[in-house]
Amino acid sequence: MRRLIRILRTSAWLGWQVEANWADPLLFLVYAVARPLATTLILFYMVKVVSQGHAPTDTFRFLFIGNTFFLYVTEVLVGLSWTVFRDREDYETLKYIYVAPVRLMPYLLGRAVTRVGTATVGVLVSLLFGRLVLGLTIGVPGTSWLLVIAAVALGLIGVLWLGIILAGTSLVVARHSMNLNEGLSGLFFLLCGAVFPLDVLPRAARAVSLALPFTYWLELLRRMLTGRGFATSLAGFSDGDLWRVIALATVALCGIAFLWFGWCERFARSRGLIDYKTNY
Amino acid sequence: MGADTTDTRMQRLRMNLAAVYARASVRVKASFRESSWVVGETIFPFLAMSAFVLVYRGLHAPREYEGFVVLGGAMIAYWNNVIWGMASQFFWEREQGQLQLYLITPVSRMSILIGMALGGIVMTTTRALAILIGGILLFHVDLPLDRALPAFGLFVLTLGAAYSLGMILSSLFLLWGREVWHTATILQEPIYLFSGFYFPVSAMGTVIAVAGSILPVTLGLDGIRQIFYGKAAHGFLPLHWIPPIQVALTALFLVIAGAMLRHMENLGKHEGRLTVRGD
Repeated sequence: MRRLIRILRTSAWLGWQVEANWADPLLFLVYAVARPLATTLILFYMVKVVSQGHAPTDTFRFLFIGNTFFLYVTEVLVGLSWTVFRDREDYETLKYIYVAPVRLMPYLLGRAVTRVGTATVGVLVSLLFGRLVLGLTIGVPGTSWLLVIAAVALGLIGVLWLGIILAGTSLVVARHSMNLNEGLSGLFFLLCGAVFPLDVLPRAARAVSLALPFTYWLELLRRMLTGRGFATSLAGFSDGDLWRVIALATVALCGIAFLWFGWCERFARSRGLIDYKTNY
Repeated sequence: MGADTTDTRMQRLRMNLAAVYARASVRVKASFRESSWVVGETIFPFLAMSAFVLVYRGLHAPREYEGFVVLGGAMIAYWNNVIWGMASQFFWEREQGQLQLYLITPVSRMSILIGMALGGIVMTTTRALAILIGGILLFHVDLPLDRALPAFGLFVLTLGAAYSLGMILSSLFLLWGREVWHTATILQEPIYLFSGFYFPVSAMGTVIAVAGSILPVTLGLDGIRQIFYGKAAHGFLPLHWIPPIQVALTALFLVIAGAMLRHMENLGKHEGRLTVRGD
C-alpha cells in the first residue's frame, strides 16, 4: 500500500512537471480556467440571444452546473489517453516506464491526479465566476457541502476508471485514434444532458443516456446545488437511488478497467506497440 | 543566359508544386487509410455539435438558431485543423525529429505549409460535410440550398484567410516548446466564444465583436449566416463588406507568414532550437 502511494505521488508530481513547468503559475492558471470559462460564456450568450437579453437564470443555472462539473469528465478522459500517446510517441518514455519496477496502471492513475487537480481549479473558478460575475445562486439553504464534495468524489472515481479503460485502448491504437477518445467525451457530453434537459433527446438516445452513470451524477449534483431536479426522465429516482446507481456503476467500471487494461497491456507488448510511433 | 534563368525558375516552380502535392497527398491518403480516424473525424464531432443544437431546442429557440450551430460546427472543424494541423504541425515534426528533413529540402517552407493546408482542407471537409449533412437530416435544420453558391464563395475566401493565419501561427509555434500544447488548447473554446461559433457574434457587443473579427472565421461565419438567414442571423458587419475584408486578410496574412517563417527559422538556427526535442 505504501509503495502504491509512493508511485501515485511520484507520477502525480511528474504529471505536474510535464503539465505546468513550462509556465509561471499565473499563466498556467489562465490556461486552466480559459476553457471552462469560455464554455460557460458560450452557454450564457446562447441563452441570452434566445431570450433577447433576459436570460432565464434558473434554466441557465442548470446548464451551468452540468457544464462546469462535466469538465472533470473531459479533462480526465482525454488527458489520460493523451498521456499514453505523448509518453509513447513524443517523449518516448513509455518504454522506460514499462521496464521500470512500477505497474503501468498505478502510474497512469498518478498522472490522472494532475488532471483532476487542473480540472478542480477550473471547476472552482467557474463556480466563483458564476456566483460573482453572472450572479447565479450556487447551493440552497439545505445544501450539505460535505455531501456535495462526496458526490463529486464518487463520480470522479468512476471517471478515473473510465479514463483507465480509454488509456488501455490508447496503448493498442495509433495516435490519431485520439479522435475516438475525444469523441467519446463529446458523446458523453451529448448523452448525459450536460447542457440541456434529457427530455429533448430522441427516445432511443434517452435510453442510452439512462445507461450512463454520469447522467445520474450530474442530476444528483444539480439537485444538491439547486434544490430540485432538471431531467423529467429521472424524476422517479430519489436522491438515494441516484447515489446507489453511481456507486454501483463505479464498482462496475473499476472491474472492467482492471480486465480491459490488463488485456490491452498484454496485447500491446505481444504486438510490440509499447514504443509504437504514428504521425502523419 | 535568360533561357537558363527561366528554366531554373520553372524547375523551381515544378519542384515547389511537387512539394505541395506531396505534403497534401500524405494527409489525404492518411485520413482515409485509418478507419478509426475517419470515424473519429466525422461522427464524434457531429455528436459534440449536436449537444449545442439540443441546447437551443431545450430553450425552444427559433429553428434558425440550430442552423447557426450546425454552420458553426462545420467551421469549428476547419478552425481546429488550422490549430492542430497547421499551427502546431511544425512543433510535432520537430518533436519527432522530422523538422530538419523539411528544412534541408530545396523547396520553400511555404510550399510545405500550403501542402499541409490543402491536405488539411480535404481531410477536414469530410468532417464538415458530416456535420452539415447530419444536421440537415437528423435535426431537420433549415439550410436554404438555393443560397449555397454565394455561401460557398464566402466560405472559400474564409478558408484562404484562416489557413493563411495558420501559417503565421505555424512559424510562431516553430520555436515554442511544450507551451504549444496549452496555447493550442487556449485557441479552441475561447475562440469558439469570441468567434460566435454557436451564436451570433453581435450578441457580445460591438467592442468584443470587432476584436473577434480579427479572426477570419468570425467574419466568414457571420457572412455565411447572413447569406442563409438574412436579418434573422443578427449579422455584425454588412454582408458586402466581408468578402473584400477576407481577401485583404488573406493577402496580409500570407505576406506576414512568409516574413515570420524566415525570421523564426533564422532565430531558431541562431538559438539552436530547431532540433530540440521534448522541450
